[in-house]
Amino acid sequence: MSKDADIIVIGGGIIGSSVTWHLSKLGKKVLQIEREDLTRGAAGATDGVVGYHTKKPGAQMELAVQSIAMFEHLGEELGEDIEYGLRCGGMQPVEDQLQWDILSEIVEEQRKSGVDIRMISIEEAREIEPMLAPDLKGALYSPTGGKVNPIKLTMAFAKAAKRNGAEILTETEVTDLIMDGKTVKGVKTTKGDFYADAVVNACGAWAANIGKMAGLDIPIQPRKGQLIVTEPTGPFMDVTLQCARYNVVKFRPEAVTDQEALKMGNSLSIEQTENGGLIIGGTREFVGFDRENTLEAIETILRRAVRFFPALKDVCFIRCFAGLRPYTPDGLPLIGKVNGLEGFYMAAGHEGDGIALSPITGKLLAEQIVYGKESYSLKDFDPNRFALMKE
Amino acid sequence: MKVLTADVAIIGAGSAGLSAAYQAASAGADVLVIDENKRPGGQLFKQIHKFFGSREHQAGTRGYIIGEQLLQKVQESGARVMLDSLVYGLLPDKSMGVISDGVNYSVKAKKIIIAAGAKENYMAFPGSTLPGVMGAGAAQTMINVNRVLPGKRVLMVGSGNVGLIVSYQLMQAGADVVGIVEGAPKIGGYGVHAGKIRRAGVPIYVGHTIKRVFGKEEVEGVEIAALDEHWNMIPGTEQTFDVDTVCLAVGLNPMTELVWMVGCQFDFIPQFGGHVPLHDANMETTVEGVYVAGDVTGVEEASSAMEEGNMAGVAAAEALGYLTTEEAAQKKAQIRQRLNTLRSGVFGEGRRKNKEKQIADMEIYRQQNGKESGSHE
Repeated sequence: MSKDADIIVIGGGIIGSSVTWHLSKLGKKVLQIEREDLTRGAAGATDGVVGYHTKKPGAQMELAVQSIAMFEHLGEELGEDIEYGLRCGGMQPVEDQLQWDILSEIVEEQRKSGVDIRMISIEEAREIEPMLAPDLKGALYSPTGGKVNPIKLTMAFAKAAKRNGAEILTETEVTDLIMDGKTVKGVKTTKGDFYADAVVNACGAWAANIGKMAGLDIPIQPRKGQLIVTEPTGPFMDVTLQCARYNVVKFRPEAVTDQEALKMGNSLSIEQTENGGLIIGGTREFVGFDRENTLEAIETILRRAVRFFPALKDVCFIRCFAGLRPYTPDGLPLIGKVNGLEGFYMAAGHEGDGIALSPITGKLLAEQIVYGKESYSLKDFDPNRFALMKE
Repeated sequence: MKVLTADVAIIGAGSAGLSAAYQAASAGADVLVIDENKRPGGQLFKQIHKFFGSREHQAGTRGYIIGEQLLQKVQESGARVMLDSLVYGLLPDKSMGVISDGVNYSVKAKKIIIAAGAKENYMAFPGSTLPGVMGAGAAQTMINVNRVLPGKRVLMVGSGNVGLIVSYQLMQAGADVVGIVEGAPKIGGYGVHAGKIRRAGVPIYVGHTIKRVFGKEEVEGVEIAALDEHWNMIPGTEQTFDVDTVCLAVGLNPMTELVWMVGCQFDFIPQFGGHVPLHDANMETTVEGVYVAGDVTGVEEASSAMEEGNMAGVAAAEALGYLTTEEAAQKKAQIRQRLNTLRSGVFGEGRRKNKEKQIADMEIYRQQNGKESGSHE
């Protein structure tokens, strides 16, 4: 059977598009397949934080350092405006002593990666962001983080990949993998069969479904995040901001006592986009593949927003939406070849870090596929740390 | 989050919503009507002119009096009316997000009737964002509800009934209307309204459009021009008028946001103002238990909005068991007959055909999706 491409990438999100672009840069003929349209999943339903301070200390933080360095010239290289806010900074205001202590501890660990992250007083925080409520206790501050428009970045990856000869099929659903024993030969889709030397599973929250077709048990679960968009306002804030509970929920969930907050995984995340609208999140809920907004979540999110930025009480919200983040049990993505199968690679499971980690994920996986070795070790993200093969 | 419950929740306390509320509540249902305005009645209280049609549609009675009578009936029926309250969301599980007096409510009702009405179309031209350019409906609200004159010298764009009636009411309120501009080659509204305008000496410029509005901080004047048969402006035909207000009466479009949000299927019918929800003869949409009535189903006029509201109210009460099939059938037959009367004649015939298509498309949708069709007596 003649092959249709060197590599097939399944998934039209930010990770799949980055992988496609990087493979095409290395001279490979790539076919990217998307069930709906580009950015219809998590990439199109999120904010665009490209920050260090939300990353788990250790391997994830180190990877973020590599990735964020790539953002400096990414727009230039892609030839598109990705609305990258270089060094707009990141901040997490804290409400009480407990949060201050937990964040201080995490910050100490995060600083080991050589990134400027520090705890500052509320007075200092309000000098940077004057709209913040004065009765807060202080804030984590990371001056070098950035922000990006995730939809524009995904589209820019895709356009640049096309210019390199990649083909992108949208409205095309992969219905099965074509296997020859333990070798993946291609994919069956609603628009016919396609053959290639390798297949990349970049299906985000849906990655486990593709895994099943290869007889794999991939421990990725959909986790819903709800967000709200406001009407455009004048210049309101520069940093990307989360409340301290964001990091507490993420890294020390046992310290959260409010059971409702824990169930909804609710914490504030807020940033202003280039057109002036504010994107306000968010929740982290395990509710299967349901992508509906709920009145409870909207109320909780808005209350949190007004708690930290009292002036927001007079701003109208115009839209809300939800995205499904790919959750993994250890909070780290699965990037690399799956042992026991030939020609099958993973690039999924970034949960809330997919935007920031998209450039480095694409780069390193492309290197692994093409050269057999990546320029920066992916060992901490090796999919085989989980027992993927079904008994 | 506080939860409110009802048998029937109605969005909009205008002609359609109040009629639906009266029907459902007087049949015994627990009805909650929600409206974002401070006063109920929707457009009715702005209508100081006499209505047309048949005697059963209170021809010869002024709109605001019809509104007062309807409101009286609703109050006696026991329906609750929540004013100054915004329905900001209607989720697929049919729960409703409502902000009222700073409190966020979740409203859960067995049946929902969306009677959100319509909003004015806008028109862009140089100067169209200057203060003093406004919808004719806004001007009508100012003079008839708030008792404020929007300007002293007004040019009206559009000669449909809204443009003609509001022009006349602006004159009654003390403004000078320097003219009415109409793009089409003939006047759009009823002859009787146009006749009053012409007798008052106001010129109607058919086959003309607005070229630009000028002014520094606000409207200081307007330039109009004649149109050729391809609707292009003819150079050299420009005329300018010294005005401080330009009103736009260039059609309405249904306020369908909540209908989209809850997941209803739509038709595209330009004569009804664009996208309109599919509904059956009972006014029920493709989402079971969600009904629509009035301009949100396609822009018509107040009398048919009231009848559609009556229909939705009766159907919802019947579905909840407050009316027997026989009782409901009798009421619905009468309502349908009155609706047919309203949708007849030179002006009504087109609307009747469009409405038939909308209901037929609903039938096709139900057949294709294996759903039982609603009751059609």
